[in-house]
Amino acid sequence: MKLDMHCEMILEEYREKLPVFKKLKTAVMDLVRHCLSENNIIVAGVESRVKTEKSLTGKLELKGYKYRTLSDITDIVGIRIVTFFSDDVDIISALAEQMFEIDWENSVDKRKMLEIDRFGYMSLHYICRVPKTKYNDPAMPELNDIRFELQMRSTLQHVWANMYHDMGYKSDVEIPTEYQRNMSRLAGMLELADEQFSHIRKEINAYRRNVQSLVATGNFDEVPLNGDTYRSFLALKPFKRLSEKIAAINQAEIYEDSLMPYYNILRSLNMKTIGDIVRLRNENSDSAYQLALIQLAGTGLDILANSVALLNLCIVYILKQGFGEAGLLHLFNALYGENDYNKDRAQRIYRQAKQINII
Amino acid sequence: MDIKITRQENKTMVVLNGRIDTSNAEQFQQDVAPLMEGENPDIDVDCTDMSYTSSQGLRIFLMLQKSVMARKGKMVMRNMNPQVKEVFDITGFSNIITIV
Repeated sequence: MKLDMHCEMILEEYREKLPVFKKLKTAVMDLVRHCLSENNIIVAGVESRVKTEKSLTGKLELKGYKYRTLSDITDIVGIRIVTFFSDDVDIISALAEQMFEIDWENSVDKRKMLEIDRFGYMSLHYICRVPKTKYNDPAMPELNDIRFELQMRSTLQHVWANMYHDMGYKSDVEIPTEYQRNMSRLAGMLELADEQFSHIRKEINAYRRNVQSLVATGNFDEVPLNGDTYRSFLALKPFKRLSEKIAAINQAEIYEDSLMPYYNILRSLNMKTIGDIVRLRNENSDSAYQLALIQLAGTGLDILANSVALLNLCIVYILKQGFGEAGLLHLFNALYGENDYNKDRAQRIYRQAKQINII
Repeated sequence: MDIKITRQENKTMVVLNGRIDTSNAEQFQQDVAPLMEGENPDIDVDCTDMSYTSSQGLRIFLMLQKSVMARKGKMVMRNMNPQVKEVFDITGFSNIITIV
């Protein structure tokens, strides 16, 4: 279809302004990425595009009569932020309101447009401008006058919209009625799943806050050992004193390494609460130090990983429980994977432990 | 201490021979410095003929390990003799560096 003269003029203006649109897209993407990173928000993705001439021509062919000038078309530059959780859309929209000038008259919250008994496209669309306070290029002053579209939606809303679009439909009025019901059912299911994911996240966060406070108050016997509670416990640096005592043998510097790999070891040693780990430490610190002393004294080695303290505590505990060399071999296999060194190491440490009467 | 560094497909092979101690740690650090930059960060260190490492050597291996990990690569040390392995064990470096 040939465009009329009015639409041809809009298309010509588009060609002239294309470098500004591209610059605007880059500027908005930089602002969005910076904002997400500053606010520690992890999203599933950020997409951007400048509408192609072909796509704009198609739009003008369909409804060119609606637009007086190119500036009436607000989605030449489009940015889409896809969040993992549906309630993050509200957080991101609040940040967008601080970052950009919002054209409220033309912005739509498709999430609120659906009737209560209808399910379908859910997304928040803001029409925005970049204020000069956020981005100012004296060579392109018109950049701040151009409106762009910012779409915000959750991953599941994105999935539904993409599937729908992939089938060749842009709005639900076009889809044959016999399929409309199935698409609506899917939309309803995804909306429910979105809500559940957000709900689960809230519950997990509440649980973490609760265990953090239990750990912080020292009610260790009431705190079951799991990944979250162990991490909170480690934040208290429970093995620091023993590490420092061991490091003092050679005036060594301590290299801080993750103690998370010991979580599964402690579980396999039948530690059920954080209180069990505290007892393991309190009852075995002296022997763990003696073991380090016999290994390190006279070596002059003046750098140590902080894991030495916890490793020696586990070694002493295993030996005192009567698991012997086999127990040590099991420990090393679990920590480092099965290899030829572990057996020698188990034998060596067993001998050292005998020497200092741990067993 | 002798060090031989060769490129092999997508990784760097390092063969160590002798002791790493105060007398040669600085030279060792200079020798491996080029391995701390560039693409293809994977390093394979053959320790068959390495007879000892002091704390200075451990610090250099730690620097290498951090540099390799920052570039999403992997460093593996292999064929350590029992004396060298003991140094890595008692300092907790066996937890930090992959030894096979």
